[in-house]
Amino acid sequence: MKQTIVLFLVIINMIPLLSGCWNQKELNDLAFVMAMGIDKGKHKQFDVSIQLVNPGNVSSGQNGGGGQGLPIAVYKSSGDTLTEAARNLTKKLSRRLYYAHTNLVVLSDKLSKENMLNVFDAFEREPEFRTTTEIIIARKSTAEELVTALTILDKLPVSKISKQIQTSEKMLGENIKVNVDDFVSGLVSKGKQPIATGYLVKGDKSLARKAENLTQTTTHAYLMADGLAVFNDGKLTGWIENEKARGVVWVLNKIKSTDINLDWKGKKGALNLTPIRSKTKISVKMKNGKPMIQVVIKEESIISEVNTAINLDDPAVIQALERKMGRKIEKEVRSSIKEAQRKECDVFGFGDKVHLAYPKYWKKVEKNWDEQFANTIVKVKVYAFNRRSGVRRNPFWNAMK
Amino acid sequence: LEKIKINPYQLFVLIVLFEMGSALVVALATDAKQDGWITLLLGMSGGIIIFFIYYRLFKFYPDIPLTSYVQKIIGKFLGRILAFMYIIYFIYIAARVLREFGELLTTTIYASTPLLIINALMILTIMYSIHKGFEVIARVGELFFIMVYILAILGFLLVAFSGLIHLENLRPILENGLMPVIKVAVGQTLTFPFGEMIVFTMLLPFLNDKKKAKTVCITGMVLSGINITISAVINVATLGVDLYARSPFPLLNTVGKIEIGNFIQRLDVFFMLYLMVGGFFKITIYFYAAVMGAADIFRFKDQKKLCLPIGMMILFSSLAIASNYAEHTKEGLRFITIYLHYPFQIMIPMMLLVIAFFRNRKKQSQG
Repeated sequence: MKQTIVLFLVIINMIPLLSGCWNQKELNDLAFVMAMGIDKGKHKQFDVSIQLVNPGNVSSGQNGGGGQGLPIAVYKSSGDTLTEAARNLTKKLSRRLYYAHTNLVVLSDKLSKENMLNVFDAFEREPEFRTTTEIIIARKSTAEELVTALTILDKLPVSKISKQIQTSEKMLGENIKVNVDDFVSGLVSKGKQPIATGYLVKGDKSLARKAENLTQTTTHAYLMADGLAVFNDGKLTGWIENEKARGVVWVLNKIKSTDINLDWKGKKGALNLTPIRSKTKISVKMKNGKPMIQVVIKEESIISEVNTAINLDDPAVIQALERKMGRKIEKEVRSSIKEAQRKECDVFGFGDKVHLAYPKYWKKVEKNWDEQFANTIVKVKVYAFNRRSGVRRNPFWNAMK
Repeated sequence: LEKIKINPYQLFVLIVLFEMGSALVVALATDAKQDGWITLLLGMSGGIIIFFIYYRLFKFYPDIPLTSYVQKIIGKFLGRILAFMYIIYFIYIAARVLREFGELLTTTIYASTPLLIINALMILTIMYSIHKGFEVIARVGELFFIMVYILAILGFLLVAFSGLIHLENLRPILENGLMPVIKVAVGQTLTFPFGEMIVFTMLLPFLNDKKKAKTVCITGMVLSGINITISAVINVATLGVDLYARSPFPLLNTVGKIEIGNFIQRLDVFFMLYLMVGGFFKITIYFYAAVMGAADIFRFKDQKKLCLPIGMMILFSSLAIASNYAEHTKEGLRFITIYLHYPFQIMIPMMLLVIAFFRNRKKQSQG
């Protein structure tokens, strides 16, 4: 009898422990933050636009679900700190903001030029927020315009942006995936400056946030990656565009594939070659008490387009193509490095390489590495290899002759 | 004293789990920046040398724990005072580990749960296991040792395959010369975690095969030392020096970075599982040593009765020892090492050894 009572009491006491509901968060009480857009505030320091997912309207498929509404909702708030802005938002929102699924942070270029540094600690310190979240810079448009825009193929604009960056990093190599951790490590390091992909809303910006924008095959407004933002001392100092941006990504060894046009016997754009893999190695040597940086790129490509008569069966011709290709890439990379040196902004992390190779020398120059970098000799060497030519040997141009 | 026998493998497992315990979790040797791993290896070598002091003492008195042989070495009265101080030391360190454990959970996932609740749940579990006796703890150790190893290997592979390891982060090696490294090794890694082997002076008499004590302890220390070093290397290689130095729990950040193919990600739970197991064994062993020592000097027939009071002492002092985490770590790095670890781990045992040596020599020559 006594045992039964004791057992009963023990079991009763277990109940509050087993519920696991100390601070339970029900799914329908949470608002999932997908993206945050941060602008320079009108009255306070930041204007924050928070993009929330509307789960009922995202799902589509068998159940014939996928409601009529929009997949996202954007709420705006302002504050002198990010936390203040986020907490102010509770005045407008019925649910608790939940940051664990935030995939994107958008900073406006105006903010980036002034005091962007004030946003990063909030991201790092909050345990819910993942520091693998990507960062982009809104260019020629506000961050708010970017996070409010709707996209047509992917229901969630966030997945459009992050997938796009990933794909074009792989296929074209003009922009680059940068997350909060990467960015902060660039800010802190003396031998490296952070970079980030620029993004803009193209077309009629006022239509970007409306559902009717999505009822056409060519939307009035769309989101597009554009250029690489360059920072110095935590401030946006300029942009590197198109091919020069590709050169930067090339030096950073992030390029998987891209495409290069080559001229042949006076015809412009006669051939197009696509690299299939590429590896960049950076080494440092001391020469006359000054560091000399050597960038070696090894690249393999295939022929993807031939618009002229050419004998591709001849290894000598292929070798000539390889040389042409090497020179072209070399030129491109060199111009990117020149551009960065002109901006006195070491986006490649050459300073870190000097630090590793010559720690004693580094101690002397780390304070003014930016100026040192601008005058450092950088040698670029490209080894280009052309492996195969697709499912045709010679082009039809040869037969037409 | 309880009649307890554990085999060498069980002792080995307990040593490894104990040494890795909180050392893998908290930021260790971050003052040495990218050379943290060197300080850990130096600390390990120093720890092994210190262990030989304990081992010599154990050879003089193979059947009784530390709290008993101090009474034989420096007399009943003084010996009891010293043994009592050791018990307080064990309780205090157990409380510190418990605090670290709770602090980590409250900073990461249980942000609005009070520290008291988390710590109380942990200490209740530990009290239960201590109530069941040391042999049970040793067997649980065998079980969890395998689990921890599977977790660790899996975690390591996942970090490696995520392409996170950038070994160039470890360079330049010895950027500021050897001095800072030695300073950190002597000031931190020697005493935590390697000098903490002092607690095993209480437990070595349980070993059934006394001849194997030396090999088992040293292989245990070396294995755990290597594991801690590997984790430090991976942390620096993954996070970079800056983030490593700024992170209160580097391993958590490293595990959080795992991302393979967009679907194997957010594996923080790996770390949490390890934390539970590691924290459990570290606190349990300190706690058990305190219970045993108290039963020894106060002549308790049934040491299980001490479980509740000492458990409550650990629980409440874990909350009271510091008012915030900054204070807690500052105490750990600046004061504990000098005023507690050094005397209790090195100086007193050394002094005891010298006296024991002369006493036993006299005895031998008389006999």
